[in-house]
Amino acid sequence: MILRIEKGSAVPISRQIGSQIATLCASGKLRPGQRLPSVRELARELAVNQNTILRVYERLVSEGLLEMLHGQGTFVSDRARESSLAAHRDRLLDELRQLGRQGIALGLSNEQLHELLAEALHQLQQTSPAEAETTP
Amino acid sequence: MSDSVIEIHAVTKSFRRDPVLRGMSLQVERGRTFAFLGRNGAGKTTAIRLLLGLLNRDGGEIRVLGLDPATDPLTLRGRVGYLAEDQTMYGWMRAAEILRFVAPFYPTWDHELALRYAREFEVPLGTKIKHLSKGQNVRLGLVLALAHRPELVILDDPALGLDPIMRKQFNRDLITHLQGEGRTVFYSSHLLYEVEPVADEVAILDRGQVVRQCETESLRRDVKQITLRHDALVLIDQDVILDRRPDGLETAIVVSNAEYVMEKLCREGVEHRLVDLNLDEIFEAYVSGQRGEPIHLRQAFEPTGSQS
Repeated sequence: MILRIEKGSAVPISRQIGSQIATLCASGKLRPGQRLPSVRELARELAVNQNTILRVYERLVSEGLLEMLHGQGTFVSDRARESSLAAHRDRLLDELRQLGRQGIALGLSNEQLHELLAEALHQLQQTSPAEAETTP
Repeated sequence: MSDSVIEIHAVTKSFRRDPVLRGMSLQVERGRTFAFLGRNGAGKTTAIRLLLGLLNRDGGEIRVLGLDPATDPLTLRGRVGYLAEDQTMYGWMRAAEILRFVAPFYPTWDHELALRYAREFEVPLGTKIKHLSKGQNVRLGLVLALAHRPELVILDDPALGLDPIMRKQFNRDLITHLQGEGRTVFYSSHLLYEVEPVADEVAILDRGQVVRQCETESLRRDVKQITLRHDALVLIDQDVILDRRPDGLETAIVVSNAEYVMEKLCREGVEHRLVDLNLDEIFEAYVSGQRGEPIHLRQAFEPTGSQS
């Protein structure tokens, strides 16, 4: 599991780690039943506070992505893929809302915004069809 | 009282007539990793020297591990691991020699542990101290600070002068050997983004006072930039505004309790935009933000100002 921490970002470190693990679950790179590094191991690897890692794991457990089995470790749950897609949907919606707000501030109409989104998707499909297909 | 390892209450300290600490207060609970932040010259080192009884305070109260450093400095220093800023060690000694030299000062010194740390921190024991790199020097200092198994470790800007790779390694050592073993760590830094991954809690020192002490994560949640019309500013408690930048009809402000302010603006139906800040921006807002100066004051300075 390779994660990347961007220091000094406006995104809190716990959210960076959480969303990267969620992405790995969504894309199937982390498979159901797979064991994650222990809190200690990941803290050391990333040079991040153990409590932060523990909180991220706990949150992902509550979101249904991970399962903590007492004495055995933390595992990717069976329904990780669906749960992470749901979580991603919320995040995407949030980002689209921000983009929409910028568009409205620029004086664009709903139709113009839809056109822009369609054009962006079109460009994606031209460059990498596989990537666009997996977009929910 | 809660289980505080460090308690500082309303401490003052001046050098000649220069006040350095002006009523500084903070608490550190057992087992926490606590980052003490401030610009260069904000008084961090002075505060740390007071904690260890290396300086005497002018006023206020300090307790470290339940002891008053002013009256019990030697007992205290035997129980605390301390790494000074730019620690100077005898350059002619070899690393192994300084370990043996320092050992008798601490009744609880564990030489096996010292050698193990030296190995794990990759300190070359046979090398003379003057030939160690900056990073090796800091890590040798850390071995000296830890080998007597102190319950509290105080580090004065340990990352100063370390390159990014050494800093990460240092953070890793901190996490594995201190956090992992449940010790309390109090360390100072002027780099907020460096302490973020590691610290449970932060305190920001500015002009001799702690202007904020809180959990690292809640600092991000609470301090945000909000852009709104000038005339809506009156709705916001002036004390929570850390920085303000007027721009045309709008002002961008940084507030210290974003959740509450947002709730109020929404309730009043005031249009606004919210921006998340990174930690450097948050730090900047606290230590060099444009706080007050309500508009009528500024008008008074204009050459054509109509009222006084």
